Amino acid sequence: MGSYISLPSYLNTVDQRYRLVGKSCEGCGAILFPPRLICLECGQRKMEDIKLSGNGTILTYTVIARGGGPTEFDDLQNMTGDYAVALVELQEGPRVVGQMTYCEPTDLKIGQKVKAVFRVLYEQEGVIRYSYKFQPVA
Amino acid sequence: MVDVAVIGVGQTRYGTFPEKDMKELFVEAFTEALADVEKGIDPKGIQEAFIGTLETGGNQLGNVAALMTEQAHVPYIPASRVENACCSSGFAFRDAFMAIKTGMYDIVMAGGVEKMNDLPRERNRYWLGVSGDVEWERLAGTNFPGIYAMIALRHMYQYGTTKEQITGVAVKNHRNAVKNPKAQLRFEITLERAMNSPVLAYPLTLFDACPTTDGAAVAILCRGERVEDFTDTPIYVAGSGAATDYLALHDRKEITHLKAATIAAQNAYEQAGLEPQDIDVAEVHDCFTIAEILAYESLGFAKEGEGGRLVTEGLTEIGGRIPVNPSGGLKAKGHPIGATGVGQVYEIVHQLRGDVKERERRVKNAEIGLTHNVGGSGGTAVVHILKR
Amino acid sequence: MGIGIIGYGAYLPKYRIKAEEYVKAWGNFSAPGVMEKTVPGYDEDVITMAVEAARNAINCAGIAPDSIGTLYLGTTSGPYGEKPLSSTLLAALTGNEDVRTADFMGSTRAGTSAFLGCFDRIAAEGKGAGLVVASDIPLGPLDRASEHPFGAGSAAYVIGEGAPIAILEGSYCTSIETLGERFRRAGELYTRDLELRVNFMEQCLQKSIHGLLGALNLTPEKVDHLVLQQPDAAKSLKAVGKLGFPDKALGLGMIAAYTGDTGVASPLLSLAHVLDHAQGSERIVVASYGSGSDAFSLLVQDGIVQRRAQSPEVPTFKDYLEKKEYVDYLTYLKFKKYLSTFKS
Repeated sequence: MGSYISLPSYLNTVDQRYRLVGKSCEGCGAILFPPRLICLECGQRKMEDIKLSGNGTILTYTVIARGGGPTEFDDLQNMTGDYAVALVELQEGPRVVGQMTYCEPTDLKIGQKVKAVFRVLYEQEGVIRYSYKFQPVA
Repeated sequence: MVDVAVIGVGQTRYGTFPEKDMKELFVEAFTEALADVEKGIDPKGIQEAFIGTLETGGNQLGNVAALMTEQAHVPYIPASRVENACCSSGFAFRDAFMAIKTGMYDIVMAGGVEKMNDLPRERNRYWLGVSGDVEWERLAGTNFPGIYAMIALRHMYQYGTTKEQITGVAVKNHRNAVKNPKAQLRFEITLERAMNSPVLAYPLTLFDACPTTDGAAVAILCRGERVEDFTDTPIYVAGSGAATDYLALHDRKEITHLKAATIAAQNAYEQAGLEPQDIDVAEVHDCFTIAEILAYESLGFAKEGEGGRLVTEGLTEIGGRIPVNPSGGLKAKGHPIGATGVGQVYEIVHQLRGDVKERERRVKNAEIGLTHNVGGSGGTAVVHILKR
Repeated sequence: MGIGIIGYGAYLPKYRIKAEEYVKAWGNFSAPGVMEKTVPGYDEDVITMAVEAARNAINCAGIAPDSIGTLYLGTTSGPYGEKPLSSTLLAALTGNEDVRTADFMGSTRAGTSAFLGCFDRIAAEGKGAGLVVASDIPLGPLDRASEHPFGAGSAAYVIGEGAPIAILEGSYCTSIETLGERFRRAGELYTRDLELRVNFMEQCLQKSIHGLLGALNLTPEKVDHLVLQQPDAAKSLKAVGKLGFPDKALGLGMIAAYTGDTGVASPLLSLAHVLDHAQGSERIVVASYGSGSDAFSLLVQDGIVQRRAQSPEVPTFKDYLEKKEYVDYLTYLKFKKYLSTFKS
């Protein structure tokens, strides 16, 4: 079937997906999210967990129409229509791509403030995969 | 210093061929490449093969390079599969170039093959999201179109690039493909039709996206000292540059620019001792229309943010200052993922030899050509400069 | 100081469907008194709603999520029959795994069962903080009247020591055997109801409330707010009609006209709304129902007004009620996945 994130791999990212736990580099203080083993700023490896607020700003986004997204989201798309995905710059610094929810995709703007919420992302192999999504902040 | 030249190229038609499997496509391209060697070549003289393929579709997975070479009746030679998403065979070409450059071998083949259209539609789309960052980008709901769409939107926001400029690339490439019998989509489109086609991932529409394609391409490379045995019109590889980038858009410092492609281009220019204005013709990676504009900027044909202007001013048309994608590009010629890189070489080699059969597609006095091949959303990139 | 409710939170999804949509679709809307009801978004479920209410309660209480030692979740409609919903909820709130968790399921009184269970636990421990969440999206067959009132919502309570908002005065629980009234066989998605003419709810509520008042030596006039399970906007009112509670005690807790039947969350959502308005020294009686009834009495503490002022950023039940977007019947079906053939 090709590209497929295994359940153990997904489970490894539960702290990130459920609670937005990032890493703070002990070498240079950079905040990394999603986490990585080696700091991409200074190359050091010692890091500490840091819980991020989930608040951020949209740098760019797109609205995925029928056939434009991965098959995991086909039912979501059939039942709710076009959905938006945004590149969000979190207030602590790191950027992350996230699906938008509770919003009118056509109303989004670059520069819009958003916050992370806990939602069902998709289902596979009978297992529900939860994750953060972003919601516009009024 | 060892010179490396291309002595023969072959390519299948690009399109949808349910009756032809991977093996048949590869053998077809290989056969044409052999026949393309002016003075003939004994296939047993080929010493190694690098074959690019992402292996979408339901086909041989492991050891596929060995399968391709034995089916092509060149068994026992060292062969390996190269995978760097959509620039797999661009990197295969680079591997072949380096195998000769290092003095290891005299004659090496680089090829690519992809069978995309034998899958049910759902599985087909599954493959279109494997080359960006799968864990975070894909699972946020975007595959290829989504990532390039986000880049396009930001490019428009930051530089004022218009949708007309972006989609204008598709209009140009379709017009070129009409004259290319090997192209998949041989029909013209108007800007209006393209702009109004169904949205794929805003702001990109269906006509901003390349098709899914079956196809194969092969190039035979030879050590400079021996080319005379094979041809009087060798096309030399003057420079090979390649690079990688952070896979996910969110890990890159710049959102509107593919750094891997820029670094690859810079390296290629440096090796060749050339500059952007020296290029007479280029085949670039327009998996989405915006990607061609990004290519202009990576290759130095336009300053950062100004790529759109080249489209408006027609500078990249076949008769323009720097013809880009005279073959129709990925958009209209097609994009059989693993084969595309060598397919670009196929076009440039014919352009530089001056033997493109269709007169209207010939770029006059083309002496130096360039291929720009990118993997996925820019995680990998490879640029080659070829000259007569 | 004592042990009591030290924080609470509510959550309602923003989508609503009006009674008229059902009338257009079916020619009638069988949910007495319900004018509109809450509808979960496609990517919301019992757990995601529980997380929202829980986060609100934790912020209201001002505690660190890591300090929760007990977490109970009540629902009738979670996505798994076996795989603890409370474990997923816990992982969404904290990385601490040394927590006692449990799922309470099986009837619409599972929320209050969890609530009382949590109180018992924290009182027994004498310290620590517990979180109880009631979250529900009851699902019924589309061609039955029983589906009409079903809404969606969640409520959460942090039980602990400190300066509580309200303390538990006492409880009286009953369990009755009901046959044919709202049930769901294991493995089935939709509730069934044989629409018998027996009014189990009336007998049961009367019994537990009566029992509670008796045990605490109280009369109905001593109750400032009565909060009842609301399968619709009328049934529970009728059930307690003869018990002699003043009308003004019932008003605040009546939310079903705008939410529909929120299952296990029903009494605890109403309680949250009441707490948003209650004054010190007031007495609130809560009675759930679902093949039995948990009735309990809460005494509001004087500090409640000040406490409310301390967390203005936590959205209230009313905030959620007022933030709404109407959907039509077709969208309602799509969001609740009635139309998805191959979901995964």
